[in-house]
This record gives sequence, structure tokens and C-alpha cells, in this order.
Amino acid sequence: MQRPSDELLIAYLDGELDAETSKEVATAIARDPALAREAQMLGETAAALRVMFDEVLQESVPERLLAAARGEVGDSELDDKVVRFPEARKPSAAPAAQSWRRWASLPIAASVACLIVGGGVGYLLATQSSGGLVPQPTEQTAAASLNWLDNVAGYHKMLVNAGPNDTALVDIPADPQSSGGHKLALPQDFHLPDLKPWGLAYQGGRVLFIEGRPATQLFYTTDNKALGPVTVVVATTTLPDKAPTPEQRGDINMLWWRHHGHEYAVVGTANLGYLWNIHNDLAWQLDAI
Amino acid sequence: MPQRNKADQDALSSRQAGSSDPAVSGFRPVSARFSDQLVAVLPRLRRFARGLTGSVVEADDLVQAACERALTREHQFQEGTRFDSWMFRIVQTIWIDQIRARDVRKEEPETEAERIGTDEPMRRVEARLALAEVRLALKDLPPEQRAALMLVTVDGLSYKEAAAVAEVPVGTIMSRLARARVALQVKLGGGRGSKDDAEAKR
Repeated sequence: MQRPSDELLIAYLDGELDAETSKEVATAIARDPALAREAQMLGETAAALRVMFDEVLQESVPERLLAAARGEVGDSELDDKVVRFPEARKPSAAPAAQSWRRWASLPIAASVACLIVGGGVGYLLATQSSGGLVPQPTEQTAAASLNWLDNVAGYHKMLVNAGPNDTALVDIPADPQSSGGHKLALPQDFHLPDLKPWGLAYQGGRVLFIEGRPATQLFYTTDNKALGPVTVVVATTTLPDKAPTPEQRGDINMLWWRHHGHEYAVVGTANLGYLWNIHNDLAWQLDAI
Repeated sequence: MPQRNKADQDALSSRQAGSSDPAVSGFRPVSARFSDQLVAVLPRLRRFARGLTGSVVEADDLVQAACERALTREHQFQEGTRFDSWMFRIVQTIWIDQIRARDVRKEEPETEAERIGTDEPMRRVEARLALAEVRLALKDLPPEQRAALMLVTVDGLSYKEAAAVAEVPVGTIMSRLARARVALQVKLGGGRGSKDDAEAKR
């Protein structure tokens, strides 16, 4: 292939080409140092854009927008109650998961990632302590018994930022030979949920404590940018059944519910519609309806 | 609460009659799920709008207008399709309408010295990457290219998804993106000459 067009080069960088064309562009880049330099610069510019705008995701959403989204806006009559855009909190500059992955190999993205991984949990904690990004917490969410959702969301955030190929955060890998004999804290006769129909591949899990008892957070990754990685939490509980309830921590969405002595959550950066459908599948598989 | 129920009924009737006037009750009955989805996507809508307008206040006004429009058109959203894409499309449509109206009135868009955001660690990153220059360069791009850039490069949508939002063919998104990215690079000093710069304006 001669020098690829700008469209092809950028589509290559964006991961939008078929395998054959992608290989051709990669070969052209490998053979042409000037082209390689250009590709790198294009990537760095894109990474800079993402860093710049991802900061917006970490700002508090103005009350007027939350009210508008809930259909509570009485336009003029609420004008006086508008809460103006607050000073941005100190964020950790975490790029969106989908776009981060695409650029994971670029040096600039790598340097940004260092900031992200270090700050992921801190950000989530800060988000909670200062009112959160989106919904005001309900009475239930304010309950101390739901602190585990913060923990789960924080870990999910780190998993997202680490990227799909980084299994360092998975304590117990899916491959039994790599698990070092460690086992997940799953109920007896528990079958790992099969989320392959969603394009989600099981990567392993980690053990955490919910209500003082061991629980498990299972990690699934996917190439589907619209969906992103998903984690599933399985715990035991003495609390009464609870219908699926949406929660949000920063850009992490969650649906959690209790059924017959078990507590479950599905966690991801995907929108609640997606998570709701996955929840339906999980609930059916886990007999957790 | 009979009063609220009456108000909801009035608002619902008003909506069904095609009116988007919320003044009837100051409360639009909206399904909890729809509202949850809308709240969940707000941060991304704000980011998208910020990229389009280059202004914090204008961006939030745009998102508020998009929310209000979405609520009056909840029935038009098709379950099983992507809610975020639907909302992006509404935001972009309102924004394009605003630009056209501005062109007719020959108004200049608000210019603001607002930063996209503030914080010390970010300033360090910004210094390294010359983010300020990126921001300025972005504002010089034609609106369609800016939208494509925000959807694909910043929000991570695929070309196909971005094409659906912009309601143009995938090839158009591809070419808008290429022009935008090359133009940014040129403006940031890594360019390839005036020919590309001129093309980027197209």
C-alpha cells in the first residue's frame, strides 16, 4: 500500500478498519518513519482532547439539569432556584473507558493512565463526599449498609481504567491454573453467569466483604465499546428482598437487588438500559428473580 | 395527593395534545426508567455540549433544552435502541438550530474565557500537552467536524454510531473526522502545510 489517505490513517487509529486494511496501514506505518510520527501525533492530539473533556464528567451536574431530566422543571418558576455550575472539584483526569482503550498503546494515554489509576478510588470517594454527580441519594442509598456499592464501583472504575488486557486487578483469574489455588467466595452450587451472548468474557474475580461476610465481584470484559466491562457482585445477606434499584457513582452505573438471602449487583459504564437487560439475564441464570 | 394527581393528569393531557408547555404544573410525568436513563447520561451530554459550544453556560443551557425536548418526546424513543445516541442527536439538532438562528440574526456566539475545567494536576498535564491550544483549535473547526470529533474521539462512539447520531453516512463521518483531526494537528504545529489547512475549513 502507498501512503494511506488521512481517512484511512485515522480510521486505523480509531480501530475502524477491517483486519486486512488495518494490516496494510500498519505495514505502511512500520515502513515509513514520517507516517509513524504523524500517526503518533494524531494519537496524542486525540488523547489531549479526551483528557480535556473527560474532566467535565467529574464535575457536579447542576441541579437545574437534574430537575430537567426528572421532568421537574417549571421553567420560569424554577429560574430563581437554579444552582449554578460549581467550581470543578479536584478530579483525577480519568478518560472515558471506551476511548481510553482505543488509545491504550499511545504514550500520552499511558501517562494519563497513571493519573487515572492513582486517582480512581479517590475520585469516587470525593464524588460521594461532596454530593455525587447525579442523583441525590435516596434514603436507602444513604444507609451504611450500602457502602459496599462505593467499594464495588471504585474497583470497577480501576478495572475500566486499567484496560481489558490488564488482569493485575483480578485477584483470582478465570484460568484455574493461574489462580494459585485461591477460590472465590461463591455460594454452593453456584454457576458462573454466562454473559457470552452479550459479548462479555469472564476474566476472573476478587473477594470482598459485604455485611461482614465474604462476597465476590466477577469481572467480564468485552470489545463492545457501547457496553464496556461489566462486573457482577454476588453476596449473601440477611436483609429482606429488594427490587432492582439503580445507583450511580461517577460514571459507573449499577443495578443491585436482593433475593432470597442473596445480594446481587451488576456494574458497568454502560447506560442503565443495558444494565437492566443484563440484570434480567443474570437474574434468570442465577434464579434470582 | 389528589392535587398532584390532577396536576399530573393536566400535564399528561397537555403532552398528549402535543404541548410541551410545562407551566401547567411545573412537573412532567415521566417514567422512572426514562428519567433514570436521562440522569445517567447527563455527564456525557454536558461533555458533548461543552465541546460543541465551547462554553460552560451555553453547554448547560443546551443540555437543559435537550432534556426538556426529550421529555416531550419520550414516546418517540424506541426501546432497544441506544438512549445515549438518541440524546446526542437531540443535543446536536438543537445546537445546529441555534447556530442557524444565530447566522440569520448575524449574532456572534458568546465568547468566554472560561476554562473547560480547573484543577492543579490538570494544569500540569495541560502545560505538557498544550491543551489550551487544543481548545482554541477546536473552536475554529466547522460545527459538523467538531461534533464528529466529540462523538468519536472524545465519547468513543463508533463511526457507525456517530453517523446515526449525525444522520449522515459513515463515509461523511470518516471524512469529517479526518479533516478535523488533520486541522487540529496543523493548528498545533504538527501540520503539513497550508493546503491541508485550507481543506480542513471545508
